[in-house]
Amino acid sequence: MSALSFKTAAGYVKRSPFQALSAIFVLSLTFFVGTVVALLVYSSSQVLNYFETRPQVIAFLKGDATPEAISALQNKLATDSRIKEVKYVSKEEALSIYKNATSDNPLLSELVSPSIFPASLEFSVNNLEFASTVISEVKTEPIVAEIGYTASLGGEKSLQDVVTRLKTATFYLRLGGGIFAGILALTSFLILMVIIGMRVNARRGEIEILELIGATKTFIRSPIVLEAFIYSLIGVLVGWMLAFILFLYLTPTIVSYFGEIPVLPKETLSIVILFASVLGVEIFVGCILAWAGSMMALSRARQVK
Amino acid sequence: MVIFKNVSKSFGDIKALSDVSFEVKKGEFIFLTGPSGSGKTTLLKLILREYVPDTGEILLEGNNIGTLKNSLVPVLRQKIGTVFQDLKVLPERTVRENIEVALAVVGLPENEWKGRLDDILKWVNLSERAGLFPAQLSGGELQRVSIARALVVNPQLILADEPTGNLDWDTSMGIMDLLLKINKEGKTVIMATHNKMIIDKYDKRIIHLVNGKLVSEKNDQKEEKKEEKKMKTRVEEAGEV
Repeated sequence: MSALSFKTAAGYVKRSPFQALSAIFVLSLTFFVGTVVALLVYSSSQVLNYFETRPQVIAFLKGDATPEAISALQNKLATDSRIKEVKYVSKEEALSIYKNATSDNPLLSELVSPSIFPASLEFSVNNLEFASTVISEVKTEPIVAEIGYTASLGGEKSLQDVVTRLKTATFYLRLGGGIFAGILALTSFLILMVIIGMRVNARRGEIEILELIGATKTFIRSPIVLEAFIYSLIGVLVGWMLAFILFLYLTPTIVSYFGEIPVLPKETLSIVILFASVLGVEIFVGCILAWAGSMMALSRARQVK
Repeated sequence: MVIFKNVSKSFGDIKALSDVSFEVKKGEFIFLTGPSGSGKTTLLKLILREYVPDTGEILLEGNNIGTLKNSLVPVLRQKIGTVFQDLKVLPERTVRENIEVALAVVGLPENEWKGRLDDILKWVNLSERAGLFPAQLSGGELQRVSIARALVVNPQLILADEPTGNLDWDTSMGIMDLLLKINKEGKTVIMATHNKMIIDKYDKRIIHLVNGKLVSEKNDQKEEKKEEKKMKTRVEEAGEV
């Protein structure tokens, strides 16, 4: 495409500023929503992943369990394909956890010694469907005194309920966000098509002259297609930028609200990768929208001719 | 350069051209004359492949224009410089940009544009008007823009459809001077006109159409004389041998 095509396309944009603005506005809105939906999908996945990877099962060990027996059981659990992230918590570590948890009331921690806290093996299952079988099997181990579940979840049934609810919520969030973004993308596509169609109709005389002096189809089409690309790319950048500014503005609130749940990436590099990926996908989608919209408008204009 | 062989073209019941045959040699200047509706513009549009003949053949440098693939039509048109009856200048582009378009269409590298543009603008005496839009130009100036756009790509064949129509005599003479200058440089010019004063003023070959039929042809008297002279010389030379 020559510089003349760019110049012509830029001229089209400048000569019809309100058409250009409406196209850019709708496209910006689409890509803003697209970016927000992408971030929500990411965050919901993070939340789900957080809960799914939390230690779900705690096997409290008997006081007389030897280090060899503990180590053997730990190895056995670690090699079980249904189980992940096996962690040994000694009596001292358990006391330390207790002290941290009761730091606001020193009296409670002063009254206890490590001996009253049993050592334990904490682990989670890859799929909650395995939970009951795994728990039953671990209960039969000779050094296991008792099986407990993550305190906040209360038990096997409620644990599964929470994750199921999270999965359902995530599914509807993705579905709803996807449908909303899809409707906006369709609207953008139609608006691009209408504007490019109007442009082709307004330029019919010019197109005829260009054809008569020997211009190829590509030469005639390129400024029109470029115009659609200009709208689309500006829309992508504005929408993405707005979402990024919103992200920067809301991050402190979101992080403090969710606490240790990593709903948003914490390292700068991860943030850059996340936003760069979203931008890359949106540029791709924007190009597809511009190409398809302008080509459809051009082919319709030819049919009318 | 251009050969018409029994070419006919109809639009419904109207016969625009009927069994027209003639040949245009390289470097010729031809007046295509006849009253309005006689088929002059149709004939030019057939050369430009805006229309396809119903019957007959049109050959341009040996290639049949009528059977040319659609994808090759732009290539054909790039070889022909056309001055349209209704000028067909781009209203939203300046004089310079109107001429630039022709260079862009033939794919000439942009670094070669400036020299060509400056030369052609000087040639048609529009250097000082280069930055103006068509609406700011007079009829004669617009016609010169159209000629400049046709010539800037250096075509070997120029089609001019009523280039002096609606222009006063002095301006028309200015346009004619330009076309004759082009012709002197060896380019073939086919000019459609019904302006008898212009036809009479210049001693050129005339193809006269009436109701789509070629009714008479008058050859360039100077060319005829040249040919006669050449023949005489040849005969004399042959006699000497």
